[in-house]
Amino acid sequence: MFSSLFSTRGGSYSFVIFFLTTLGLLISALPVIVVTLMSFSAAETAAFPPAEYSFRWYEALWAQLSSDESSSAHSLGDAMFTSVLVAALVMLIATFVCVPLAYALVRGGGRVRAGMELLFTLPLVFPLVILGIAFLLIAESLALDLGIWRLVIPHVALVLPFVLRNCMSAMNGIDIEIEEAAISLGASWPRAFLDVVVPLMKPGILAGLIFALIISFNEFTITFFMYTIDVSTLPIWMYSRTVSSLDPAVLSLSVGIILVDVVMILIIDKIIAGRASLF
Amino acid sequence: MDPRHSSLRSFALSLPAIIAIAPFLGACFYIFRFSVSGESGRISGFSLQAYFELAEPFFLRSIWVTVKLAALSTLVVLILAVPIALVIASVRGAVVRRVLTVTILLPMILNLLIQSYGWIILLGPSGVLNTALRESGLISRPILLLFNETGVLLGLIQTAIPLAVFPILSASRAISREYLEAASSLGAGNWRVFYDVILPLLRPGLVSAASIVFAYNASAFAIPLLLGGRRVQMLGVAIRDMISPLFNWSGAAAAGMVLIVITTGVLLLATWLINRSTRTPKSTGTSAPLQTGGGA
Amino acid sequence: MSVRFTRRGLLKTGAGVTAALAMPSIVSAAGHKRFEGKTVRLLTWSDNTGLAILNHIAKPFEEATGAKVIADRTGSTSEMVAKLRASGGRAQYDVITLAGVGAVELSKDGLLAKPDLNQLPNLQDVDPRFRTGADGHGIGYLLWTGGLVYNTKTFKSPPTSYAEMWDEQYADRLFLPPATWTDALDTIFATSRMLGGDGRDADAALAKLGELRNRLLTFGENPTQLVELFRSDALDIGGVYAPAFFAKELADPANSNMGATYDVEEGFFADLMYTIMPKAKPGEDDVVHAFMNYTLDAKVQGVMAEAVLNGPINQKAEMSAAAKASPFIIKPEQLGDKAIVHDKEFIADVREDWIKRYTQTLA
Repeated sequence: MFSSLFSTRGGSYSFVIFFLTTLGLLISALPVIVVTLMSFSAAETAAFPPAEYSFRWYEALWAQLSSDESSSAHSLGDAMFTSVLVAALVMLIATFVCVPLAYALVRGGGRVRAGMELLFTLPLVFPLVILGIAFLLIAESLALDLGIWRLVIPHVALVLPFVLRNCMSAMNGIDIEIEEAAISLGASWPRAFLDVVVPLMKPGILAGLIFALIISFNEFTITFFMYTIDVSTLPIWMYSRTVSSLDPAVLSLSVGIILVDVVMILIIDKIIAGRASLF
Repeated sequence: MDPRHSSLRSFALSLPAIIAIAPFLGACFYIFRFSVSGESGRISGFSLQAYFELAEPFFLRSIWVTVKLAALSTLVVLILAVPIALVIASVRGAVVRRVLTVTILLPMILNLLIQSYGWIILLGPSGVLNTALRESGLISRPILLLFNETGVLLGLIQTAIPLAVFPILSASRAISREYLEAASSLGAGNWRVFYDVILPLLRPGLVSAASIVFAYNASAFAIPLLLGGRRVQMLGVAIRDMISPLFNWSGAAAAGMVLIVITTGVLLLATWLINRSTRTPKSTGTSAPLQTGGGA
Repeated sequence: MSVRFTRRGLLKTGAGVTAALAMPSIVSAAGHKRFEGKTVRLLTWSDNTGLAILNHIAKPFEEATGAKVIADRTGSTSEMVAKLRASGGRAQYDVITLAGVGAVELSKDGLLAKPDLNQLPNLQDVDPRFRTGADGHGIGYLLWTGGLVYNTKTFKSPPTSYAEMWDEQYADRLFLPPATWTDALDTIFATSRMLGGDGRDADAALAKLGELRNRLLTFGENPTQLVELFRSDALDIGGVYAPAFFAKELADPANSNMGATYDVEEGFFADLMYTIMPKAKPGEDDVVHAFMNYTLDAKVQGVMAEAVLNGPINQKAEMSAAAKASPFIIKPEQLGDKAIVHDKEFIADVREDWIKRYTQTLA
């Protein structure tokens, strides 16, 4: 089952690798496992582990989703729709701008490359709270009616470091000879780029898309400052539900959101990568 | 039509990305301008007052806590992420690989408040772990794993694992099987192969991962609030308090600038140290933190 | 427009007519909903008090008047103030509910409109001390009250002094309010009183609070976390904190282990919350005033008090027998010597300094 990146021949090495991997996976997954178990609790109170299991909180959630009144609160359905739309736009825009940039930087090289990489790392370094208020102050002083772009523009900036890094790492592995061969066979440069280079970048593009999707779909801090009563997202909706009442219905919604994320990831994986996928 | 040289084409290819990042750069400039504002609530006049006010023991301690926790979490994340990446790269079954990848992405997906709730149930003073230890007679008072630096460290590690696994995974793809087989057929033991072959080849990915994790965790604020019980004063928390309810926005901007300078400084220092200690082969590119060795 | 003009004219003719016209039930009984097609954009808290406003104020108001209420239920008072300041003149809300300090600050910034008291007939029934504030920009809403929250397993009878928090046996089983909440200022006040001061001696109080630094389990940043910590029997006591967060849990101490008390030697804290109206509000004057007036309706005040344990300010508030008997709901007539109502100007003066020192002493 395992190739020789690490050997299965036993010994301390394999043990350590397995131990650390298991530990890492547990740290990642334990809170989710607890929350998932709790969401199937049959009880009113939050004792863990639940004494009995049921679907009652999922039924309650479904009842709320289907009778959701848009009049008195932001509607969950609207928030979900906005979140998906924003995440899709962010994902497409970020990828569309990063693929050519990654190509230019890897082929260009030199000082420009180092400078540009530093520039495109900055969104990662800035504390989000201060960025949030800065975006809000700028948006308000410009007095533009940006609609959904209030969220898309800052989200794009946030995901650029992740998308660019993934595209560049894929680009690094593509030999310049492949491109030159295509051109010497008569292809124009744009054709060579689109037909030869971009397909080879697929795994990197895919990883970038997924990061962009997850980060935008779940972004809270900047969105908290930028959302309006008309343009609001799922994490904001969740926040207003969870500040002082964490009932199992909220937990079942969280499990639902995880499923939505996973399905979106798998769809992208399928569309972009087909069989030779990232994972 | 030589793909190597064309600065005009490079510029044209970079332009969309530059447009996309322009609003962010505007915001950066805005923050800088705010940090030297003469008033604390709005931009007016020039003054370095906000920076001078930061030179107090409390804020300096906050910087120390931030750097310490970001560095420690980076170290632990790398120790965990390397084996995970190696395992994911080695698994042949597509389903298992997908399950593993989605599992490490979970911390990025689930709402942090709800994750903190999960951790309280598991590791809280009366959580699953403490109850088990108490019932087995090993302890009489609960071990406090949350609402202190340990809790914050746990949260920082958890949320940063996916950020580290992917660059390392990308780098591990560059390791050819023959390389490893050659090494072990020459009689090298597992640990030797790991140290002499795998680690050096993973280095670009490791460096990229480390820089992302450090930068990401240095600016964290939700984790110290939720898992630190607000008792661990990382810079992100201090900045949030300055924005509201203290409404000292120029102070928040100045603190933000200090954080950016520190993070960038640490990354540049790492770049310099790495470039000095080794010369990396051309084919793998440079391994400086600010340059890409692997994907994020 | 002419309709509005006429109504305004009528409003000035006499309180009786005004009250009749503003009373939504009467209008809807005539079969004609007065504000059909109009919208009120409301900003309120994200916690359960905000949820109660949706259920017990916004929905009945919609039914009675035909107006539509769109509610944004996000944030604490200080987050609301930050957002409103940042948006400056471009407010997206018509009505905001928030704590006293927030109204004072926004009023100082010149961002608020002065509501027309003639259009708020229900104010007649409100205790005169709580009618308006923030320089006439804030209209009284409900009383936010804070006391001690305790573990019913540990305390057979409720604690009677804040001094209980200093008892060694509660080390690592203690919480305090986060620095960024008004309750932290109350805590400094309470400590000063406990030491025999008048509440304003922050130096002595902070020195005393410093003793708790290493005995503190957590700050109560998140009421849901506190609920879980009490449920799992990991906390004994904490304050100054508002029972309002725990309406559901306090009703079921057997499962939640939670109790709360205002009956403390040094006194409890009451803060008047306000409804305010931004200057540049998108909605129309009449429906916005009607909404503000509706929050003061005798029935609404009674229902809200019961739902979120806030103190009603309408002296005719209609409360159920259970609510009247509830030790967690303070009635205006109970605000005797034990209630500490801060001088808002004093708090505005010391706030920044106290928040900083509280953080630096305890975190």
